[in-house]
Amino acid sequence: MVKLDQINISNDGLTKFFSPIEAAILRALWSEGEMTTSELTGKTNIPLTSVAGTLDRLVKAGYTTRRTENVNGRVRYVYEPVLSEEEAASEITTKILDSLVQAFGPLAVENFSKYSDKK
Amino acid sequence: MNIFGEITCYGQCLRLWAPIVALTVIISIALIASSLILKNPKKRLQTFAFAQVAGLFSIAMTFYLMECSDMLSLYLYFAYVIISTALIFITLRHYDRLMIKRLEAKPAGSILRWTQEYVDMLTSARLYFFDSAVPKAFAAGRSIFISIGLLEILDDDELKAVLAHEAWHIRHNSRMPFLSRLALMAFSSTCEPELENQADYFAAEIAGFAALSSARNKIDKVFI
Repeated sequence: MVKLDQINISNDGLTKFFSPIEAAILRALWSEGEMTTSELTGKTNIPLTSVAGTLDRLVKAGYTTRRTENVNGRVRYVYEPVLSEEEAASEITTKILDSLVQAFGPLAVENFSKYSDKK
Repeated sequence: MNIFGEITCYGQCLRLWAPIVALTVIISIALIASSLILKNPKKRLQTFAFAQVAGLFSIAMTFYLMECSDMLSLYLYFAYVIISTALIFITLRHYDRLMIKRLEAKPAGSILRWTQEYVDMLTSARLYFFDSAVPKAFAAGRSIFISIGLLEILDDDELKAVLAHEAWHIRHNSRMPFLSRLALMAFSSTCEPELENQADYFAAEIAGFAALSSARNKIDKVFI
């Protein structure tokens, strides 16, 4: 889910933190920048019925913004990611590290340094 | 005995039970207040229903506890009926205004001018667009609401069909407001498919059957 309160460690890639549809949308937006709804459904290959509600949720959660454009009498949304992939990664990492420190205190910090030494 | 006499008598009859009756009345009022505040429509309906139950419960208790006179419970019942009916009517009357605020809906004329003009030809209603990618359209009070997501997928003819469909609902509401509101009060939805079909007949007449059916095909979520 968008709120990052449910992290599923056993899932793959971005779907650890986002639903599969959210992850597909974010990946598309990160690679393309600005996209219309039809471009998004085309790129992700997910039907509009599944994408629409998720887009509303991503906008509400502040991961994407959208503006309405009126081109020759046709109204359409243009989506844009709020955070870049790097910014999102750093936000998620901080949140997870915070929760680890909150749970294990100094032990967690000790393990962070061991981990970075190993890498 | 006048009403004040009844109340004094009631106080004497109750004594021990008074706090419990007062509590149910307070619960009922609190539930009504929270049903006005809550955002989730399903929870609002639920709290509203529970408020009604609590209100009726307190009246029933009054009725059974009254030993000296039954008139007060009758007064209370009438007061309850009048207040709750007024509440329901006020809510329905102003439901579109609530929706405009909640959806942050914007007048359609500012985005697509012809749509409001088209609605004006069919009925007197204000058309609003609201910010959502989910294709949706509905009528409430004297307003029609259409999501930007619906605008994205429909061409002009299909949009006209949807507008005609919703305009029919508005016409129908103003012609038979009492009946439909009563149906709403009873939370019944038995006649809905029939209403939707009639709205579709009207839309097909105005905007053409082809436009209506292609709009229907695009919106797999049935517009209300």
